[in-house]
Amino acid sequence: MATSVMGSVVFLKIAEFARRSASEQARLRAQLEAVIAVVTAELAPASRLVLDAADGAAVVVLRNPAGALRVARRALNAAAAGLPLAAGLNHGALQVSGRKGGEGMTGDGIAVAANIAAFADSSRVLASRAFREALADAAPGREAMLRPAGTFTDSGLRSHEVFTPDERGLERRRHLYLAVAVALAIASIAGGLTWRAHEGRPPFVEVVVAKYTYLHGLVHRARN
Amino acid sequence: MAKKPAKIGRYRIVSELGRGAMGIVYKAEDPNLDRLVALKTIILPDDNDVRREYEKRFFLEAKAAGKLTHPHIVTTFDCGEHDGTVYMAMELLEGTDLRSRMTKEGVTALEAIEIARQVAEGLGYAHERGIVHRDIKPGNIMLNGGGAAKIMDFGLARMRMSDHKTSTGMVLGTPRYMSPEQISGQPLDHRSDIFSLGIVLYEMLTGTRLYGGENIEQVEHAITQTEHVPPTRVVPGLPAMLDFVVARALKKEPKLRYQDARELAADLATCQAELRAQSASAEPSASGSRTVKLEAGNERAADAPAARAILVDTRLPLSRLLDPAAVLKEIKDPSRELTRLPRPVGLLRRVVRDAAVRQFFAIAFIAGAAGLYVALGL
Repeated sequence: MATSVMGSVVFLKIAEFARRSASEQARLRAQLEAVIAVVTAELAPASRLVLDAADGAAVVVLRNPAGALRVARRALNAAAAGLPLAAGLNHGALQVSGRKGGEGMTGDGIAVAANIAAFADSSRVLASRAFREALADAAPGREAMLRPAGTFTDSGLRSHEVFTPDERGLERRRHLYLAVAVALAIASIAGGLTWRAHEGRPPFVEVVVAKYTYLHGLVHRARN
Repeated sequence: MAKKPAKIGRYRIVSELGRGAMGIVYKAEDPNLDRLVALKTIILPDDNDVRREYEKRFFLEAKAAGKLTHPHIVTTFDCGEHDGTVYMAMELLEGTDLRSRMTKEGVTALEAIEIARQVAEGLGYAHERGIVHRDIKPGNIMLNGGGAAKIMDFGLARMRMSDHKTSTGMVLGTPRYMSPEQISGQPLDHRSDIFSLGIVLYEMLTGTRLYGGENIEQVEHAITQTEHVPPTRVVPGLPAMLDFVVARALKKEPKLRYQDARELAADLATCQAELRAQSASAEPSASGSRTVKLEAGNERAADAPAARAILVDTRLPLSRLLDPAAVLKEIKDPSRELTRLPRPVGLLRRVVRDAAVRQFFAIAFIAGAAGLYVALGL
């Protein structure tokens, strides 16, 4: 029995592919292959695999969900010049099937990524919750790079919660944590001062100034 | 065996050319015009009502076919009825039909594209006049010595279709070249012929049966459910554009197919130019000189339909774009990391690996200590 592995799948779908003329299909396919060759160059050969799909291609990325997200975003950026792409990202089970030389890949990882890509508008990246969880597992905190973009039900009546890349998500999250930490620090010091006053002890600043005599001179100079 | 008649209608029978389930084809002489013709006879059913209906339809179809004059369609000259047999006098062609050619010699990729292009031109002409063939298959494509292809039996297909399913629902003959809508009994239009031509083209290019099976149900299932392997995967070296041409002709959904046979012919002409350019660069496998021979009666082993359909639903072939050897090796002997599901991220892991959370806890810790110092220290 073939072994199942978990991997991230970037499904790149060419919009309205079936409705285009064969010569345009061939041109778009060649363009897509060039884009894939460029955007997957940063990935190690043992961690990426490209699959042909009827209306696009799927890039399987092992052990590197952040790399998969980068591939999707770079593919859409690179394709801005005349290649109408949509990307679906998923993380799930994958299996190699078929005889040697004619191998292919199957699995829920691919099926869900394809469904999400089919749902996505042109020039848009959408990712599944499973992909977001894989991203969080591989690099905690990076899940903030994806923000909720709603849910949709595929033709098999399966519901998918989807997320879309958020350029400033990481930065916003860092600012939020920093703001909460600063507020906490202010509250903590204010609490300490209040407690001190409540206990009838001399004010903290006066004690500090009295204790550290060089500070006394500074305060005196400042007052004059 | 019935004795060869001396005359049918005004035609003097010269010899028998062949016989099938519907009737016999004779080489005959038209004394009025002093020319040789192919005379196709069709045996009528015994039941009078059915016979009258059959006859009426036959003459209607023959009349429509008689209006088609095109270099890639066999011309129908005349039709009539003689002693309980209806007949059609057609242009007599020297040559062989495509089926025999594929079985005996095979066709080169260039020939395959050229034949399909010519047939598409002929179909385009007929479709423009509202006539659908309904039975495009290698046996109905005639090749003359000069390499010209001609579509035979326009007008006869509908007669045959009525026999396809008997009153008990049993299917007669093979539906191997039928379109999905034809199999499911839906109304047909010209796009059905395009699908059938797509199958013929695929088989000429690859030398394999596209929709095989051990019985009619399996063939029908294959036509309606399974996707084909792109021709360039079967015969590397064919122009990549052929994959798109074949894929478009073989769309299960008629509205996604070529909407016009002439459009298909135009794309085939582009493929032809591409293949000729490849041959000029003298790469043997891409030269178009590779002969693919369709073995008689040798059908590609078909998987059980249900399993095959499930497999095809999500199975994607490996691309030839990047070498997959390294990653396949990795997958065949996966590490534990590759087989486990993503784990939820706990607090400890967050603090250790998430910079923003680490920063938050550091500030919170220092703030807490400062608060305590302010409250209790000094």
